[in-house]
Parts: sequence; C-alpha cells; structure tokens
Amino acid sequence: MPNYDAIIIGAGHNGLTSAAYLAKAGKKVLVLERRHVLGGAAVTEEIYPGFKYSVCSYVVSLLRPEVIRDLELPKYDLEIIPLDSTFTPMPDGNYLFRCGDHARTRREIARHSVPDAEAYEEYGQLMVQMAMAVKPLLGMIPPEPTTWNPKDLFGLARVGNHFRGLGEKLLYDLTKLMTMSSADFLDEWFETNVLKATMSASGIIGTFMGPRSPGTAYVLLHHYMGELDGAFRSWGFARGGMGSISRVIAEAARHHAAEIRTQAPVDQVLIKSGRACGVVLASGEEIQSKVVVSGVDPKRTFLKMVDGRHLDTEFTKQVSNFKIRGSSAKVNLALDALPNFTSMPGDGPHLAGAVSISPSLDYIERAYDDAKYGDYSRRPYMDIILPSMLDPSMAPPGKHVMSIFVQYAPYHLKNGTWPEKREALGDAVIETLSEYAPNLKNIILHRQVVTPWDLEQEFGLTEGNIFQGELTLDQLFFLRPVPGWAKYRTPIKNLYMCGACTHPGGGVMAASGRLAALEILKDMKLRLI
Amino acid sequence: MATYDAIIIGAGHNGLVTATYLAKAGKKTLVLERRPIVGGIAVTEEISPGFKFSTCAHLAGSFSSGIVADLDLKNHGFELLGLDPLLFAPSLDGNSLLIPRDFNKAAAEIGRHSKFDADKYPAFCALAKNLSAFLQTLYGIALPDKANPRSFNPAELLKIGWKFHRLGEKEMYEFLRVLPMSAADWLNEWFENDLLKATLAASGILGSFVGPRQQGTAFNLLHHQIGASNGALRTSGFVRGGIGQLSQALAKAAQRFGVEIRTGAEVLKIVTNSGAASGIVLQNGEEIDATQVISSADVKRTFLKLVEPTYLGPHFLLQIQNIRARGTVAKVNLALDALPKFKSSNGNDTVALGGVIHIGPTLDYLERACDDAKYGRLSAQPFLEITIPSIADPSLAPTGKHVMSVWMQSAPYDLRGSDWSQQRDTLGDRVVNLIEEYAPGFKNSILHRQILAPFDLETEYSLTEGHFYHGEMALDQIFFMRPVPGWSRYHTPIENLYLCGSGTHPGGGVTGLPGYYAAKEILKNRSRQK
Repeated sequence: MPNYDAIIIGAGHNGLTSAAYLAKAGKKVLVLERRHVLGGAAVTEEIYPGFKYSVCSYVVSLLRPEVIRDLELPKYDLEIIPLDSTFTPMPDGNYLFRCGDHARTRREIARHSVPDAEAYEEYGQLMVQMAMAVKPLLGMIPPEPTTWNPKDLFGLARVGNHFRGLGEKLLYDLTKLMTMSSADFLDEWFETNVLKATMSASGIIGTFMGPRSPGTAYVLLHHYMGELDGAFRSWGFARGGMGSISRVIAEAARHHAAEIRTQAPVDQVLIKSGRACGVVLASGEEIQSKVVVSGVDPKRTFLKMVDGRHLDTEFTKQVSNFKIRGSSAKVNLALDALPNFTSMPGDGPHLAGAVSISPSLDYIERAYDDAKYGDYSRRPYMDIILPSMLDPSMAPPGKHVMSIFVQYAPYHLKNGTWPEKREALGDAVIETLSEYAPNLKNIILHRQVVTPWDLEQEFGLTEGNIFQGELTLDQLFFLRPVPGWAKYRTPIKNLYMCGACTHPGGGVMAASGRLAALEILKDMKLRLI
Repeated sequence: MATYDAIIIGAGHNGLVTATYLAKAGKKTLVLERRPIVGGIAVTEEISPGFKFSTCAHLAGSFSSGIVADLDLKNHGFELLGLDPLLFAPSLDGNSLLIPRDFNKAAAEIGRHSKFDADKYPAFCALAKNLSAFLQTLYGIALPDKANPRSFNPAELLKIGWKFHRLGEKEMYEFLRVLPMSAADWLNEWFENDLLKATLAASGILGSFVGPRQQGTAFNLLHHQIGASNGALRTSGFVRGGIGQLSQALAKAAQRFGVEIRTGAEVLKIVTNSGAASGIVLQNGEEIDATQVISSADVKRTFLKLVEPTYLGPHFLLQIQNIRARGTVAKVNLALDALPKFKSSNGNDTVALGGVIHIGPTLDYLERACDDAKYGRLSAQPFLEITIPSIADPSLAPTGKHVMSVWMQSAPYDLRGSDWSQQRDTLGDRVVNLIEEYAPGFKNSILHRQILAPFDLETEYSLTEGHFYHGEMALDQIFFMRPVPGWSRYHTPIENLYLCGSGTHPGGGVTGLPGYYAAKEILKNRSRQK
C-alpha cells in the first residue's frame, strides 16, 4: 500500500498549488524540494546579511484570482504592494515616466508627442478588452484539435464560439496581436520611440526574441491582464519578497495536511509496468505513491528522472525538440544608498516603481542581436525594481536592495562558459546602468549575478529558461509542452506535469498547478488511478 | 450601358489570369497596362542587345498547373523547363552542396556532408510536401469576410476538418505547430549540417523582412513549396524564352477568349459613382466606363493613389496604411561573356549552375544579412539567389554568352541617412564582389549590368516600396488578414471594385492563384446579383 496519494516533485509555486488543491480534496500529499528553501523560482533569500533578495522572479501580476479564493490565501497574510509606475531614463537626459495617475501619464506622454497621448487611452482600452478576451483560455483545459472525440470537439467549438462572440474587430485585433512583432504592433499606434521601446520590452521578457520578432506582440497583453481583478494591480510586489507567495501557498497546503520536505532531491520516478508508483530520492530512499506529479520542466522530468525505456522514441524526440533556451539573467544588489538618476535626480516616486532601461527600439533589438549569435548583450535591456522602497523590511534602515532583470543572456555562449563570464555580465550591467545613475558604482555593498547557467544549476530550470519553455505560438495551448500531451497527463500512467511548461505557461500565475490538480482529481474520481 | 463588363488594372500574371477567366465566362473585358509590355514583374526584357532577362521574377515553378491546363497555356507558347540540379550551394571553404532533381541522388549528395541528414532528408521532404499540400487546400477555401459574413458555414468547417484529419494525427499536430515556427528552429529539429539547413531555410525568407530565426518563416517556407514540389525544395523551373513567355502565353489565351489588352495605358483614377466603381480615367484623360473595375495593382497603390480617399472610411484607410510592404529585395541582372567558374563546383560548372545557385552558407549568415535591414542598412554580406537560365535555354543570350539573374536580400527600401541614388551602385558592386569571392575571375566576364533596387522596382514596376509580394507574407498578413482584416475575398468597401493581385489571399509568388480565386469570387457574385 503506497504511503501517499500523490508525490509532487518540486516546491515551486505551481507544485505547491497542486499540492494544496489535492490536499484540500482530502488526498495525502507529499511535496519534495531539492533546495533548502521552498518556492522554486519564487523565493526570498538573505544572500548578504540584512538584505533580502527575491533571487529570481521579482514581481507578480497574474496570480490567478481563483487560486487566491480557493486556497484562501489572504488568510495567510499575503500582501501585494502595487508597483504602478515605470520610469525610463534616456541617454540624452530626458526620460519617460508613466504612473497610475492617468492625467499625469497623459501629460507626460504629451510632452513627447500629443498624438501618442491621445492614442494611449484608446490603446489601453483595447488591450483591456483583449486581455478579457484571452483570460478564459488561461483557465481552461486545452482541447485536442486532432480527434473526433466529442468532448474535444465540444471544447474546440467552445473556443471557436468564444472567439466568434468577441466580434469582428476584436477578433482581427487579437489575431494581429498573436502573430505580430511588438515593434510592428506598436508602430501602428505610436510614434515616440522611447514609449514604444518601453512598452515592447514587456513583450520580450523571458523570450529569445527581439521587439522586431513576430510573435512578441501578444505578451504586451500580460501587462493588462492583472489590472482586471479589482484587488490586484497590474504589477505588484509581494511584501517580504517573492518568497512570501510560495510561503502562503505552502501554508495553505500544510493547512490541508500536505507534507513538505526540503533538501529531498528526487533522482528517479519509480515506474512499474508502465505506471508511475513513487520516486527514488538521491539518498536512495524510495517513497511510494499512487500518482507522481512533476513540477519541473519536461526535459528534466523525461530525459533525467524517467528511464528512457519507458518512453517511445517519438515522445522523447518531441521533448528534446521543446524549445527552452534561457535568455535572461538576474543581478541583485545590496546598496548603501539610493541610486541617483541623472534625468530625474534624487529620491522620488520614480524609484518606487519599475525602472526600465529601454531608451529605443533599436537599443533592445541590438541587445537581441548580440544574443542571437551567442553572446550576452553588451548593453542589455533591464527591468529594475527597488523592493526596499516598497517594503523597508527588505534591507537595513537607510539601505536598499535592487533587483535587476537582465536581457539578453543566452544559455549557450559561443565563447567561454558562464562561470567564466558571470562577473563580466555583472560588469556590463553596472557599466550600462551607471550611464544613467552615475553614483551606482560607489554604493554597491554586494552583488549577486544569476546567469542562465546558475538558474539551471541552482534552481533546476533547464537551460535557465524562466518559463520552463519558451512561450511561442508553437508551444502554447494544445501544443504545450508537446503536441498531444497538453492535458497535464503524460505517456506514463499516473505521472502528471504541473509546472509552467504546461498550459497556460510561465509567470507566477499558479494556473498550471491548479489545472493539473483538477485533472488529477478528475482521474481519481473516475478511478482511473 | 457600360462599354465593358470589366476593366482590369495591370497586366501582371494575376491580372491576366482574372481577365481570361472573366472573358471565358462571357464578360467583355479590357486589360490596361502602364508599361509597354504585359507581364508586370513576370517579364522578359532585352536589356542589352541579344541578352534577354527575366528582369524581376525569375522562377515559375509554383505557377498553378490547374491554370496552365485550364487555359491551355502550353499551346500558347508556355513551356516550363524543370531545373536539374535543383540547387547548388557553394561555400567559401570549397565544400559545396549540390542537390540534383533525382531524389536518391540528392540523398547521396547530402550524405557527403552528413550521413545523418541524408537519412532524414526523404522523411523531411515527405512531411514538407504533405504540409504544403494541405496549406494549398486551405488556400482554396472561401474565407469569411465582411462581404460574405455567413459564408463560414458548418458544412465548410466539416470539409476542412475531414481534409485535416486525412493528414493523420502526427501531421495534424505538425501542421499546427510548424506554421508559426521559425524556419531555423524547424530545420534544427531535423538536420545537423548548416549548409543544408541554410539552403533549405532560404525559401522561408524570400521576400521577408526578417531572418530565418524569426517566427513565421516556416510558413513562408511551406508557402514557397506550393505547386509541383517534391517537398523540401522548390522544384522550380524556368520558362523557355524567359518568364515573360508565361505572361505572353496568358495574354494570348486571354485574347483568344476576347479580352482586349492595351499597353502604354496608365490608369490615373478609378471613377466612382454614388459609392460604386464605374470606370477609370487614363493618364491621357481618356475615360472608360465598366460595370466592374478589378485592380491587380498592389493594394496600397490602389487605395492610396487610384481611389479618391473621400470614398473610404478612416478605419479602412488606416488598415491600408498599416499593410507592411517594406521592400528588401533588389534584382541585379548581368550579361556575361562566359560562365563563371565557381571554386567549389569541381570544374563542372555547366552542370552545377543549371539550377538555383544559393549564396548563404549558414543560418547565421542569413540571419545577419537580415539584421542590417532592420537598421536601414544595405546588407554587408547579402543572401543571394542566382540563376543562369541561359544554360537551360541558350536562346536567351548570344552563343557562348550568358544571362545571370541575381535576387539579392536585404536591401531595405528605406535607407537610413542615405538614398538609393547613392547606394544603387554600392549594391551592384557588393553583389558582384561577393560572387567574385566564390567564383574568381567572374568580374571580368561582365558585359552589362542592370540594378533594380526597391526604389527602382517602385518607379518602374509600380510596386509600392518595391515589395514583390505587394505586402509581406507574415503571419498577420495572410489568410483572412490579407490584404486587410475583413476584406479577404477580393471585395472592397467600394462596390464593383475588386482586387486580384499578389496583395490578396493567398499572396505572393508567381502562382496565378490570387487572380484565379478573385475571378471565381467575382463570377460568383455576379451570378448572385442576377
């Protein structure tokens, strides 16, 4: 008799969400985490005494409201502080500052271009409409498009009907958004380069594409999705760092009696007569369970934890073909004082929001060109926040932490390895940023550089991809992670997937974890397990 | 009573196809061509005495065989010369790739580079062939648009579903997955040899503004396999007498059905009467009225130049302005004293150079070539698609001499900080010097050169921004999004004004398909009116 109903591999936010849902349904659940802390890529760690870093993921925007509701997360003290401005300093001393204050943003954009200020309103409305149109898909199990199975056909019809119901104009706009490059899409709306660049930047985060690459436009939507749920703003920062999100989900899971073990790396998934029946830890310990749910990416799951003889070659090939090229790095800084930006000197609201180093479309596109040929960007695109401005407990009094998301840093370098190049990347980041905030170099107390290689080594993300697989059209919806296996099941019975590699994909959404758990419960109810 | 049932603006291959089908259905049809010869970009021109060039388009392998049979083009002088070899891709290290027409020989040639790739080549070709065949099936399906809101009926849906399922589960998923991919990603899944991958990826970036690593280029690759293809490579062909012979044959077929064709007749305006097109005005002031006006000119030109803008809604005009048609292709046509001697052809130039010569040895090379265009620069190391049709068809040049046609990418229409009057010769020199690297001594054999930069293609051939396909074949500009969302069935907001050029579905290339589907739609519409 197995000791557990379900074992979850990996205590990332999706794994924990799955665990909480399963435990809530009365299942006996064990979560196994390789590291000493919970959270996967959503962690807070005190790398330098007194300074708390959100080491990897640093903002939250898409956490699904149904997850918050179902797991009663507010009960466990989850507080999201809105990050409602974006400040883009420019090399010529000018800047662009957009904030939650509508009238102010409008005036600010008008300073660059009056027509753009006009278009900005209409653009925002359209994006909100489109975000609403896409949202239902994030919460649904992708139907299979290749069968005559009535259930799937019904699902497809539902998707079709949903889109038809949007009306002609929205449907066409959505098609454009799904297929265009963010630069081309924004060119149709705006003329101010720095505005387009800063907006397009949200379309390239986590991808191996540039703003002129087709397929980057739809990520622009993500910026507008969070805004719809009253309680949550577009982008927010969790009090106590991203680890707080993992902590509250873990508390919810524990509340329902789920067991969580850290420093318990899984080595193999136990498979008997084609069915998963437990795991073997690196220590050799064997734990039995009815189902195994992998919260790690498919390459790690199927090419490392599952014995190849249990898989057919076609499936293995599909998993190998899954594109998972990491393209981003993180630099975390402990600062003695606040950075002083030449274009907006001193302390101010601009430091309480995001700071974007994206002065022009060409700037970002050039950064991408470097990465295309296997080098990190000499002058990278950066998305920066100062968590200690929002939550003073992140750093000692008067001091600050700075979180810098850096793109592009390709996992595969043409020359050299990441351990050799790690500090060079850190230097390029500091050099570039110092051009905008010259005092930066003198106030750094500690610097942590997290390259894609480190993300793989330390956080178990294959190739350092923060979304466990690129979010491109050929890897979305019923094609994610591989065609034919989009419903969280795998060719091995009783082995499920629940990570960001499954529909609807990356970002701290917890949607994959929830949908996977619901599918597993469905199978359990049908006594398929 | 109007003088003509239909006036067609432009005698390009699509215009001629539409005209012929309309005339065949009994319509009194007039075709008006601005230039002194018919053909649009499918023309043969004697640039230098004795040397006949396919000045713009140079390959006609994807021209619809259905139209050829329907209009009996073979009896009107159209002859397709199949390429053999299909392709020759030299590289500077002397390691060339030659792909003969014969399937087994091709695999053997690829095997010289990689045994692994040779084994996979047949399966890849079979897959590519099936996927592009299904794509062509999809092209034939009437799309929903404003003029036909209820046309997307369940029966049609079921028909598509049925055809889709005939692909089998694996290929169904491949179709959905591959279409939005990048050509490079797709080919990387299959092959290891970079020269082979670059050679195959080339058709994914023809006419495209982006490089092979960008999404949507796999679609473009499949689009270019349409027609008589063996799958992986365009089993393209030359037309005997140059590609202009295709247009001549079409013109003859048209005239046989009673179409009147006037050359040197530039249309200045489309005349509208209470919101409906009723004829045209020529440059010389002559007015001709017709029940229907059908424009094969590019969509931007049609609506931004030929139609009075007051007749169009602001939203529609904005859509037209937003069509991306950034020309990136230049043509360089060279009259040669002798065949070039490629370093890597093993002295067997007559055989090696008979098909398409591909310059672009690696995927990175092709990607980099496109990078320059993004910043408004002429590509420093461009991708070239070269043909020497006089090998297969000696009538194109004086005895012993040759014509060489070079399709060069990326040469952006919008140059930053410069213009084409300064850069035209730079482009010519760059192309010539590049070929010289592969074929030393080549420069000395040039007797005459003609350079057609995107700017020249615009002024001489009336292609807005010099775009051969009247609009990029990007994922957001195909199917029901082409030419603009809501107007994919050749209708326009102006009654009795239709479109039939490459800017319409299914898009660019010398296929004749837009013209054919447009005629079908126009005839359907007329029978409904009655």
